[in-house]
Amino acid sequence: MTTPLVEMKDVTVRFHGARTVHAVNGVNLTLMPGETLSILGESGSGKSVTLKTLLRLLPENRTQIGGEVRVAGADVLSLDGRALANHRGGVVSMIFQDPMLALDPVYTIGDQIAEAVMRHEGISRQAGLARALDMLTRVRIPSPERRMKAYPHEMSGGMRQRAMIALALACRPKLLLADEPTTALDATVQIQILLLLRELQREFGMAMIFVTHDIGVAVEVSDRIAVMYAGEFVETGTVRQIIREPRHPYTKGLLAANLHGAVKGERLDAIPGAPPALETKPTACSFAPRCLVRQDGCETGRPPVANFDPGRMVRCVHAVEPAMA
Amino acid sequence: MNPAFATAPDSLPRPPLLSVNGLRKHFPLKGGLFGRTTGVVRAVDGVSFDVAEGETLGIVGESGCGKSTTARLLVDLITPDDGQILLESRRLGVDLDVRELRRHVQMVFQDSYASLNPRLTMEDAIAFGPRVNGMPAAKATALAHELLAKVGLEPRRFAGRYPHELSGGQRQRVNIARALAFSPKIVILDEAVSALDKSVEAQVLNLLADLKKELGLTYIFISHDLNVVRYISDRVMVMYLGEVAEIGPVETLYAKPTHPYTRALLAAMPSMDPDRRTEEAPLSGDPPNPINPPSGCRFHPRCKAAESVCSTGSPGLFVLPSERHLVACHAAIPGSGHSLAEMPA
Repeated sequence: MTTPLVEMKDVTVRFHGARTVHAVNGVNLTLMPGETLSILGESGSGKSVTLKTLLRLLPENRTQIGGEVRVAGADVLSLDGRALANHRGGVVSMIFQDPMLALDPVYTIGDQIAEAVMRHEGISRQAGLARALDMLTRVRIPSPERRMKAYPHEMSGGMRQRAMIALALACRPKLLLADEPTTALDATVQIQILLLLRELQREFGMAMIFVTHDIGVAVEVSDRIAVMYAGEFVETGTVRQIIREPRHPYTKGLLAANLHGAVKGERLDAIPGAPPALETKPTACSFAPRCLVRQDGCETGRPPVANFDPGRMVRCVHAVEPAMA
Repeated sequence: MNPAFATAPDSLPRPPLLSVNGLRKHFPLKGGLFGRTTGVVRAVDGVSFDVAEGETLGIVGESGCGKSTTARLLVDLITPDDGQILLESRRLGVDLDVRELRRHVQMVFQDSYASLNPRLTMEDAIAFGPRVNGMPAAKATALAHELLAKVGLEPRRFAGRYPHELSGGQRQRVNIARALAFSPKIVILDEAVSALDKSVEAQVLNLLADLKKELGLTYIFISHDLNVVRYISDRVMVMYLGEVAEIGPVETLYAKPTHPYTRALLAAMPSMDPDRRTEEAPLSGDPPNPINPPSGCRFHPRCKAAESVCSTGSPGLFVLPSERHLVACHAAIPGSGHSLAEMPA
């Protein structure tokens, strides 16, 4: 049996400051090598915070992380110094929505990629540049030799996204974290990047955690989906299970709000209200105030967690009912 | 209702509520020595379309296609270089002034926060326009409360709040309320729901549908989300590099897209079926820059069906036999010289 690449056990993230925010409230996650998981949720649901926890990118002095995070055998929460630097970019890498913020504006693309590889693998500058050129070719940037010498501002949005992917994958990480990498792109460019990521993942055999608010994007790239709400996974399953047999009312609402197959002129089954502010740790079902099928007890006690198979979980009283309308 | 109007014969074709002819806006690029003009962005280049009363026209296209510039031209936020804008057959600049145009055509923008003055409470923000236009303060405030209730925000709770005290969805409701303060005929929604979370977006779309029915509004709905456009629009206009590529009834356009660019846009939508994921991207590369658009049909360098005629002549909008469906593609125009086009009868 293969050992999981990523294991998160009961992870909590709390931010202090002017006000306290319980951003992540008990996330459990297991990811096998080569697998792709999408975390689907709306703004403020804690999906980006979960990703950043895996890289320890959250500001140390204002963040309190609880639980256990293991990636490729290492205890991420106790890493520091050299080990943490090797973890970031070497074992786990991340791509973001805005490549302009991820790339350094005063270095050429080739230099940036070469520098990262030299630092992580201790190879010569020449070998680093050769790897950079190879990466630009793999992400299908046209005329890569010329683009090696280009600065980020000289490239189009889609091309910058490709360059950032090249940088992230240059050290052959075992895990790629993708935080809404296609949200800012035009439709015809988005699908190109999604297909590229799918292909590179196969080629490099890496695992991927993909954060998105777009169900269609999750379907295109992932094997499994975890639906996140108010800092918790409310439902997890394979893409087919989530799309075809959603059991949590929030998942159902999200699917309806995607408008795929919505009938013109009919009212949308919109989820009423807005997500909670997360100033306190949830003591009941966080979704209950917006839920159309809530019953007695939903707003007073924590919902039961139904585990059907490994990887199929629903956090709702209705989940265990055999046939639910 | 006046019975004379109720019995008016339907046989006379009614003029469109809004009519746009040959709209053009080029932005000069300044640079180099002495700030000379070094290039021209052809943001909107000869766009013509009609909007009928009570319909929703969706406008789709990628960044740089000119959809937002078109919206801004329609309310004279920027002045067109050329072309006519007619509201109920009255021409802007001739027998229709900007003030009146803006009373009838209002706009809601994507960024709900930037659209509101941070120092005005919600009731002041909504009452501002009517007061500037001569409405007594008390009446304007009463109107603001009425409009807040209409967009689903309880006036007692929300009238005194400032923009930063509201969520994105609530702010966008206020922007919609403000747009309605003049009882406009047309509301232009420029990516108005794009920044909202999906569950909130559905609420606002329901609100827009309710308001349209109640107030008899006409919408021009600009979005990059083809699912939303399909749901809300009666007709859809596809733009590419400042020109109209295709325009037609929503179901025709989605079921039988004729322009290769429309087909590519639809094929680029992520699949919702895990067993039928997209295997090939319909287009490669990024949308080109409108500074130096290609000759002939602007889509030809990316088009799989391009032939020599496509790089020489601009196709112009052609009316397809099916009603109200227009397309600018040589392959669809009989006798254009394209091998896929029918021979002229």
